[in-house]
Amino acid sequence: MEGQPDPGPLRVAGRGLRKSFGGIEVLHGVDLEAVGGRVLALLGENGAGKSTAVKILAGDYRRDGGEILVNGEPVIIRSPRDASDLGIRVIYQEFSDAPDLTVSENLSLGNLPRNRLGLVDWAAMRRDAEAILDELGITLDPKAIVGSLRVAERQILEIARALAGDARMLILDEPTSALTIEETQTLFSFIRQLKAQGAAVIYITHRLDEVEEIADDVLVFRDGYVVAEGPRSSFTRHDMAEAMVGAKLDETVASLHADHAEPGQPMLELSGVTLEPFFENVDLTVRSGEIVALFGRLGCGSMELAESVFGLKRLDSGEMTVAGVEGQVRSPTAAARRGVGFVPVDRKEEGLLTVLSVAENLSVASWSLLTRMGLLSPKASLKVYERWQDRLAIRGTRGARQVVSTLSGGNQQKVVLGRWLERDSKLLVMAEPTRGVDVGARAEIYRVLRGFADEGLAILVVSSDIEEVLRISDRIMVMSRGVVVAEHPAGGVDRAQLVREAAASHYEAAATGG
Amino acid sequence: MSTTETDYPQAGSAGETLAQRASRLFISVPPEAVLLVVLLAMGGWFWNSSEVFMTTINMRNVLLSVSVLGILAAPSTLLLISGNFDLSIASNAAMCGVAVAMVADNHSTALAIFVAVIAGLLAGALNGLLVSGLGIASIIVTLGTFQAYRGIARLMANGQTIRLRGEIDFITDRIIGIPTQVVLFIIITAITMFIVRYTRFGRAVYAIGSNLVAARLAGIRQRPTVFVLFLVSGVMAALAGLILASQLDAASPNAATGDELKVVAAVILGGASLSGGRGTIIGTLLGVLILGVLQNGLTLLSVTSFWRDVATGTVLIAAVGLDRVRVMLGGQ
Repeated sequence: MEGQPDPGPLRVAGRGLRKSFGGIEVLHGVDLEAVGGRVLALLGENGAGKSTAVKILAGDYRRDGGEILVNGEPVIIRSPRDASDLGIRVIYQEFSDAPDLTVSENLSLGNLPRNRLGLVDWAAMRRDAEAILDELGITLDPKAIVGSLRVAERQILEIARALAGDARMLILDEPTSALTIEETQTLFSFIRQLKAQGAAVIYITHRLDEVEEIADDVLVFRDGYVVAEGPRSSFTRHDMAEAMVGAKLDETVASLHADHAEPGQPMLELSGVTLEPFFENVDLTVRSGEIVALFGRLGCGSMELAESVFGLKRLDSGEMTVAGVEGQVRSPTAAARRGVGFVPVDRKEEGLLTVLSVAENLSVASWSLLTRMGLLSPKASLKVYERWQDRLAIRGTRGARQVVSTLSGGNQQKVVLGRWLERDSKLLVMAEPTRGVDVGARAEIYRVLRGFADEGLAILVVSSDIEEVLRISDRIMVMSRGVVVAEHPAGGVDRAQLVREAAASHYEAAATGG
Repeated sequence: MSTTETDYPQAGSAGETLAQRASRLFISVPPEAVLLVVLLAMGGWFWNSSEVFMTTINMRNVLLSVSVLGILAAPSTLLLISGNFDLSIASNAAMCGVAVAMVADNHSTALAIFVAVIAGLLAGALNGLLVSGLGIASIIVTLGTFQAYRGIARLMANGQTIRLRGEIDFITDRIIGIPTQVVLFIIITAITMFIVRYTRFGRAVYAIGSNLVAARLAGIRQRPTVFVLFLVSGVMAALAGLILASQLDAASPNAATGDELKVVAAVILGGASLSGGRGTIIGTLLGVLILGVLQNGLTLLSVTSFWRDVATGTVLIAAVGLDRVRVMLGGQ
């Protein structure tokens, strides 16, 4: 992308990379090589060392041992700036944009076009932005304020920013965790475009289907070692999963919905509910003991439907019955009282009391029930922690008093989930329950959900993750453009059909709905 | 393995040096311990340099001088933990003081207290309504009422200091030999400490400050909680106004000028976070005492007020900076 003819494909290699934190070595001499024109997938559970390795290449961490070579020449990378100068750019899960500025300002951040007087040239900036967005086939309004964009749009903007900065090697850290199917495809076509232009791509992910789709080479990390590597075609999905987990996969996971008791009383009944412009005339029943998945892409209206069940949005019309009591839920407080629990999409922004302890995060929804004679004893929260720690397999380093934001993503999610189990909810609404959660914790969360469903909990899962929907649901409702377009029993549908329904119905709805 | 995500890069390798051991100890103690050491060190130094410092009468002076600050700092700590500010407290105190002086006349103490409390409640309720009802940022609301309440105080008093015609004995009295205002300071601090630790309300304050959206989604009602905090802040301001008026036997509309920032300084010094969710009453108590002892000690050493201000500002930044270093080293 520099314009000069390259002697050959770019090769960025780490040799014998080592890294310790606080005297504990977490990366034990790892080799990896990214080659221009190829996508290298880094697989591994959280803490396996893949992020640490990548952060060394990106200049975020100083290595304790080993060397970095670019086209065979040792290079010094001491800071993200050094890496950036070599054309190495990382897209992290956390946004590094300026949310209060516009899309076009973000695209030229640190490099604002200026006119002859040295003042900001707004027209040039807008033109540059439009050129970049056009070239990448992104439909974003250059004038839009970034903070008002959806998560997926911001993710795409992050990538666009790196591409605009002439990156020759792009490192993507779980880029699709917030993306819909369609947007994932858009991202993948960027990646292919980059490949064609000779860029090297390192792609960090938990999702094996994505590896199959996009990767040329695979490198599997476990416990700070590289445990498997080779061209992608030499791996089956099962091989990759096994290398990551390091043991035989839990067989029960694949067939979670196979045997359990008949569903009981309806805990949520929606009939003809409408909320313009999000969803229209939706009928939905979730019974006690049942896991119902609402599958659809971002913006299909399923999220807003879930929010209205928890009292965050008011319906325009239609009937709602929760746990046998008719009437809309008016607020989250009322929802909690009526037995509805809610696990939001954005754990950090909406789920966690970030600076408080694990115990308090687990007990917060139940404080009103734990209060005795007007007093809430700190011991009550500790007891709540003891009650759930084993059952949810919450793994921290400092027990009940650990600050919740220092837990791993999977454990954080267990805490938010446990909060509503402690509250003894009758109906649990979960939005993207395993986003940003590693494979091991994901299986544990599914197991916990199934366990509680078997004990009579009604669960509504809003998800855009096909694997997840197929794995845990008793029934799948497909939603598109605010309308439920299909319903399937467990095992009655395959991936391809779900994708087709979520997408094809999009055009049908457009055609019939005008 | 999960620890690798949370650990910060640390210097050095295996084999702990003395410096590393010291830094480990430093990060493992609670921030309040650091403040206590600062307070004791300062006290020790003043004791050594001034004969007057460690006398009963001087200690009593220190307590008298910090009790108004301490009474205001308790509700301000709760507000800051919840992610809110009340910059109007000092103006409110002056306004309540003037209101008392205007009605006190020859009536009873009870009436004076009643008037002060009502005035403070109203002022607090207005703040609370604007913040939790209209959703205006508290720093903006109370920046406005900070000006307005001071203006109202001056209007009511016609810009003059009003002599108290009746005696407010209650305040100038002593309880088992301790001045009433010091007793009030201690009781209020103790009650706040209890509320923070043992009540749902107290925990809700932390939850709201930690993450407003998450607290709401967990069923915590933010608006009533914040409203009550402003009411309490108003009442405490009234109490402070009452004490200030009774100390001088007169109410000045200019009373307590600048105290709102001293309160914020004490609370921040005590470890409360500007972004909410963090802070302790013990920390604030230590913050109040550090500021009080510093002022008193420097005065005894005949340091001019200009240098006292420089010293106070330096101590504030140094203490917060020290805590920042502690967190950077991996402390909680």
